[in-house]
Amino acid sequence: MSVAVREPGAVIESEPIRSRRGIVWETIRRRPSAAIGSAILLVIVLGALLAPWLAPYDLHKQVGPVFGHPSWSHPLGLDDGGIDMVTLLMWGARVSLVVGFAATFVSMVIGGTIGVAAGYFGGKTDTTLMRITDYFLVIPDVPLMIVVAAIWGPSLFHIIIVIGILLWTSTARVIRAQVKSVRERVYVKRARSLGASHTRIVFRHVLPQVAPLLIANTVLTIAVAIFDETALAFLGLGDPSRISLGKMIENAFQRAAISTGAWWAIVPPGLLVAVIILSCSLVGGALEDALNPRLRVAHLSARSFRLRPLVGRGREAV
Amino acid sequence: MRKRWLVALGIGVLTVALGAYAASGKSSGKSSQSGGTFRIGTSSRIDSLNPYVAFNQDAYSTFEYIYPLLIQYDKANSKFVADFATSWKTSNGGKTWTFKTRKGAKWTDGKPLTARDAAWSINTDIKYAASGAANAAGLIAHIKNAKAPNATTLVVNYAAPAGNVLGQFQQFAILPEHIWAKHTGHKGADLKTFANSAPVVGAGPFKLTKFKKDEIALFQRNNSFYGEKPKADAFGLRMFSNSDALVSALKAHEIDAIEDVPATAIKTLRSGFNVRSVPGVDQTDFIINSNPKKSKHRELLNLKVKEALAHAIDREQIVKVVFLGTAKPASSIVPPATGKWFNKNLKPETFDLALANKLLDQAGFKKGPGGIRVAGGHKMSYQVITPTDVPSTNRTFQILQPDFKKIGIQLSQRALDSTAAFEAISGPNNKYLNFDLAMWDWVALIDPDFMLSVVTCAQYGGWSDSGYCDKRYDRMYSQQQLTPNQDKRRALVWKMQAYLYNKRPYIWLAAQDHVWAVAKNWGGLVASPQGPFNSISKLSLTSVHQQ
Amino acid sequence: MRGADYVIKRVAFALLTVFIAVTINFALFRLAPGTAVTNLARVPHATPETRLALKREFGLDKSKLDQYFIYLKQLSRGNLGISFENSQPVRDNLKTALINTIPMVLLGTLFAIVIGTITGVLAAWRRGTAAEGASVTTALAFYSMPTHWLGLMLVILFAGTLPTGGMTNDFLINPSFWQHFKDLVAHITLPALTLGLVLFGEYTLIVRSAMLETLSEDYILTARAKGLRPAAILRMHALRNAMLPIATLIALSLGYIVAGAILVETVFSWPGIGRAVYDAVLARDYPMLQGAFLVLTVSVVFFNLVADLLYFKLDPRITE
Repeated sequence: MSVAVREPGAVIESEPIRSRRGIVWETIRRRPSAAIGSAILLVIVLGALLAPWLAPYDLHKQVGPVFGHPSWSHPLGLDDGGIDMVTLLMWGARVSLVVGFAATFVSMVIGGTIGVAAGYFGGKTDTTLMRITDYFLVIPDVPLMIVVAAIWGPSLFHIIIVIGILLWTSTARVIRAQVKSVRERVYVKRARSLGASHTRIVFRHVLPQVAPLLIANTVLTIAVAIFDETALAFLGLGDPSRISLGKMIENAFQRAAISTGAWWAIVPPGLLVAVIILSCSLVGGALEDALNPRLRVAHLSARSFRLRPLVGRGREAV
Repeated sequence: MRKRWLVALGIGVLTVALGAYAASGKSSGKSSQSGGTFRIGTSSRIDSLNPYVAFNQDAYSTFEYIYPLLIQYDKANSKFVADFATSWKTSNGGKTWTFKTRKGAKWTDGKPLTARDAAWSINTDIKYAASGAANAAGLIAHIKNAKAPNATTLVVNYAAPAGNVLGQFQQFAILPEHIWAKHTGHKGADLKTFANSAPVVGAGPFKLTKFKKDEIALFQRNNSFYGEKPKADAFGLRMFSNSDALVSALKAHEIDAIEDVPATAIKTLRSGFNVRSVPGVDQTDFIINSNPKKSKHRELLNLKVKEALAHAIDREQIVKVVFLGTAKPASSIVPPATGKWFNKNLKPETFDLALANKLLDQAGFKKGPGGIRVAGGHKMSYQVITPTDVPSTNRTFQILQPDFKKIGIQLSQRALDSTAAFEAISGPNNKYLNFDLAMWDWVALIDPDFMLSVVTCAQYGGWSDSGYCDKRYDRMYSQQQLTPNQDKRRALVWKMQAYLYNKRPYIWLAAQDHVWAVAKNWGGLVASPQGPFNSISKLSLTSVHQQ
Repeated sequence: MRGADYVIKRVAFALLTVFIAVTINFALFRLAPGTAVTNLARVPHATPETRLALKREFGLDKSKLDQYFIYLKQLSRGNLGISFENSQPVRDNLKTALINTIPMVLLGTLFAIVIGTITGVLAAWRRGTAAEGASVTTALAFYSMPTHWLGLMLVILFAGTLPTGGMTNDFLINPSFWQHFKDLVAHITLPALTLGLVLFGEYTLIVRSAMLETLSEDYILTARAKGLRPAAILRMHALRNAMLPIATLIALSLGYIVAGAILVETVFSWPGIGRAVYDAVLARDYPMLQGAFLVLTVSVVFFNLVADLLYFKLDPRITE
C-alpha cells in the first residue's frame, strides 16, 4: 500500500474505494450510529418541512405573556415575544436547515469543481488550485464571516453565500485525493486512449466513484454550516426578518432570558442544533469510515478522526 | 490504570477546590474607607471622552461629573441652580448675561479654574463652530463673544435676547484652556482627534482616573471640587455587553446598581433590590424620509399617507410586548417627562386599520396584486433601516410588519450597525436621497431646544436622521431661541410640536420609563428621567451613600 | 538534504501565504461601506476642510494604490497603524487583546486534553462495552453543541457561584497579589471550561484510536503475557503513540482557536482578540481589522507550519 507524504491534511491515498452502488444505504442500514443519526435527521427535516401545517400556533401571534412558563398548552413555554416555543422551533429549524443545505450546496459546487479539476488535470492546475485552497484555509474563518456579513448586510442570501464560500476547502481536498486515485485506474486510462473527452470521463467514470465520499463530506459540511449560522446569528448578523434556531438563542440572550429564569427560551433551540449536528456527524462519520476503512485504524493522521474538517472549517469557530 | 484515575481525580479535586476558593473569595467591593465605591452596571457605552466627538448619553453624563458647568438642574429637575456659576443676571435688554463664578476653584492638576476658562471654551466653540466644534454649535448659537474681566466674572454677549440661555449652559462643559488650547490646529479639526484619555484633567466632584473603553470607567472623589463634596469615595461605571451578564452581576453583588434595567428582568430584581421607575426622556420612533428634495418614492411625502401609517401602528402592543409595560405611547418630539414643555394636547394616533385603509384609498393609492398598494407605478414596498444597537427595533418591527401589510404596505427590514445605518439614511453625502423609512430612538434633555433642533435644515449631516428641512420650522426654532419670556417661549414650543405632529418626519412610538435598580445598602440617588447617572445635574452621585 | 528541502519549501510557502493574506485583507476592508470618518465628521454642513483634515489624519485621502504601499511600508517597520476608535496604536491594542485571550485558550486546551485523555483511555480500555459507547457519544455530543450555547448553559448552572462576565473584577481597588490571582482564576474558569468541553471530543477519539492501535500490536500482547500491569503498558506505549497526533492537533487548533474564541468572548464579555475583531467591525475601524486579521492569519500559518514540521520530524513512517 503506497502512502503519500503525511502532511497534516493530506488524505491517505489508500486502496481503491469500494464503489458498490448503494454503499451509502448499506452503511446506514448496517451501522447503528449511522442508522440512528439518519432517523433523527429524517424526523427533524420532516418536522421542519411540514412546519406550516404541523405547527400548533401562529408564528407571529402573541399567545401569552413574555417568557411565559411551560404549561400543558405550551410544553416549551413562550419566548420573549410571547410566542409559542414549539412553533418557533419548527419554523426555526426550517430556516436553519435551509441555510445549512443551501450553504453546503454552494460549497459542494465550488469544492467539488475545484477538487475534480485539481485531481483530474494534475500538474500546474493542481498546484495552483491547491495553493488557492491553502490560502482559504488560513483565513480566519469566523472573523471573515463577520466582516462580510456586517458589511454586506444581514440577509439570508448573504449569509448562505458567506458560509458557503468558506466551507469548500475540505471538500476540495477530499475530492481531489479521490479523483487522483480514480484517475489512475485502468479503465479510465483505457477510456482516454480510446479518445473519450475529459468531460465524458469525468462525468461517466470519475464522478460516480467520487460520489459516495462526496455525500459523506456533504453531510459533515451541513453540520458545520448550521453551526456557522447559529454563530453569525448570535453575533447579531443573522437575518432579522427570519427566525432561525441561532436567532432564537440570540433573542433570548439579548432579552436577559437566563437571569429572568426563562431557561426554556434558550435551552431547546441550542439542544436542537446540537442534535442536528450530532446526527450529521454520526451519519457522515460512519459513511467516511465505511468508504475508507483503512483510514480508521491506519496510521494516525490528524485528519482521521475529524468530525468536522479539522484542517479547515469548523474548528475555528469556537 | 488506577494511577491514571488517581491523577485525574487529583486534578478534578484541585480544580473544584480552586474554583470554590476563588468563588468564596469574591470581592464585595467594599473598601476600607467609609465612603465606599458605588459600582454601577450599564449596557450602554461611553463612546468617547472627547466632548466634540461623543454621541452616547453615558459620555455626556461623564462630562457632567468631571467638568465644571455653569448651571445644573435642581433635585426636582425643574429649576436651574448653581454649579460653577453662583449667580447670574441679564442686562442690555437681555443681550448680555453676567455670571459670577466660584472663587479659588482648581482643576485636578492644580491649575486655577477661573471664568477665563469658561470664556475661552465659549469663544473657541464659536470660532470653530463650523468645523471641529460643530457638536456644540447649537449651544452657543447667537452668542457674539464671551469675556472674563476678572477671575470670577463671565460676561456673555448675545446678538439678540436669547430665551434658552440657562438651558444651553446646563449642557455646556467648560474645558481647561491649558490642556485644550494646543489642540485647535488644522482650523479646529484637531479638537476632534484629541483622545483626552484618563486621567482626565477636569474639575467636577469626581475625577476620571481609569477608563478602559467598553469595560470600565472609574471616578474618584475630587477633594478639591468647588462645590459640595461627594459622600462616596468613588463610583464606577462598568459596561456589559449583554443584559444577562448585567443582571447576574447585580444579583451576585459584583455591582451595586444597574443604570438601565432590561424590562424582562424587573420582576426578578424587585425582591432583593430597590427598583425605581420614572417616566424617561427616551423615545423610540419611526422615521419617514421627509427630505423635500428626494427623488424616489415621493408618495411618502404625502401628509395623508404619513397619517395613515401612523394609524397602522399598535402602540399598546409595542408597549406591552417590547417594553413589558415600562413605557407609554408617545406622540411628540418633546417627551412628556419634560414637564411643562410637553404639548399635552397632542395624543398618539389611534390604532385604526380601517381608517388607515380609508386614508390611503382617498389618497388615490389603490391596492394591487398581493394586496400591496401601488403608487406612481411602483409597489408601496419599502425597506426599513434599523440600527442593531437599539435592540427594541427588532421586536417592534415584527409588530409593525403584519399590520402594515393589512393596509397594503409592504415592509422589509434592513438591519445595520449604527455607523452604516446613519450612512444609509444620510447618503449620499448628507443629501438624504436614498432611504425611505427607518427606526431609531432619541434621548432628550429637559430643555426642549436640543430635540427641536434635530429637524432643522442646519442639522443635515449632523443630528438629522429624517432629512426634514422646512424654512418655516427653522424660523420658529430661531424664534424660540430668542424669546426670553419663558411663558411665551413655551407657547411657541407647543406650537412647534403641533406643527411637527402634522408634518410627521417622525411617528413617535413609545416613551420609555427609565428603570434602575439599586442594592438596598445604598441610597441617596436623585431620580431623573435620564436615570441616576445623567447629564442633568451633579446631585445624584454626589449624594449617593451607603446606609 | 530532503529534510532541509521540505522545511525550506514549507517556510517559503508560509511567507507567501502571509503576503497574499496581507494584500487581500487590505483590499477587503477598503471595499466596505461606512467608515469611522463618517462618525467623526458628523457635523452640520461639514465643511470640505473638516472632512479633508480628518481624512488626512487617517490617511484616507490618497489613492488606494498609494494607501497600499504606505501600508506595506509601515508593516515592514512593525507599525500597524492607529486605531480609529481610541486613537491608540493598533499594535498595542492587539497586544492587550492577545494577552487576554491566550491564557483562556491555553487553559481551555488543557481542560480538553485532560478530559479527552481520560475519556479516550476509558473508551479504548473498555472496548466493546457500554462504557466505550457512552464515552464516545458524550464526546461527540459535546462536540456538536454550539459553543455559545454551551457557554450560556454554563452560565445558567454557575451564575452566582462563579463570575459570568469580564476578565477581572474592575472594582477591586489595590488588591493584593493573592486577591488578584483568585479573582482572575474565578473569572477564567467558565470561559475556559466552555472551550474545554467543546474541544475535548477530538482528543477522546485520537487517544482512543492511538490506544486501540497500540493495544492490538504484538509487543503489547507479549507484554501482557509477561505480566506487565496494564497501567504500565498504557503509559509506556499507547499514550506515547498518541503524542504525535495530539501535538499536531494542539498546534493546528491553537492557530485557529485564538481567532475563533470570539463566541466564548462574547458570551463572557471577555476582552480578548475575538471581541476586538467584532467591535472593530462594528466601528469600521480598518486599521484594527487589518491588524487583527494579519495577526490571526500569521498565527494560523505559523502553527500550521509548526504542525507540519512536527509531523515531519516525529513521524518515522513518512515516505515520499
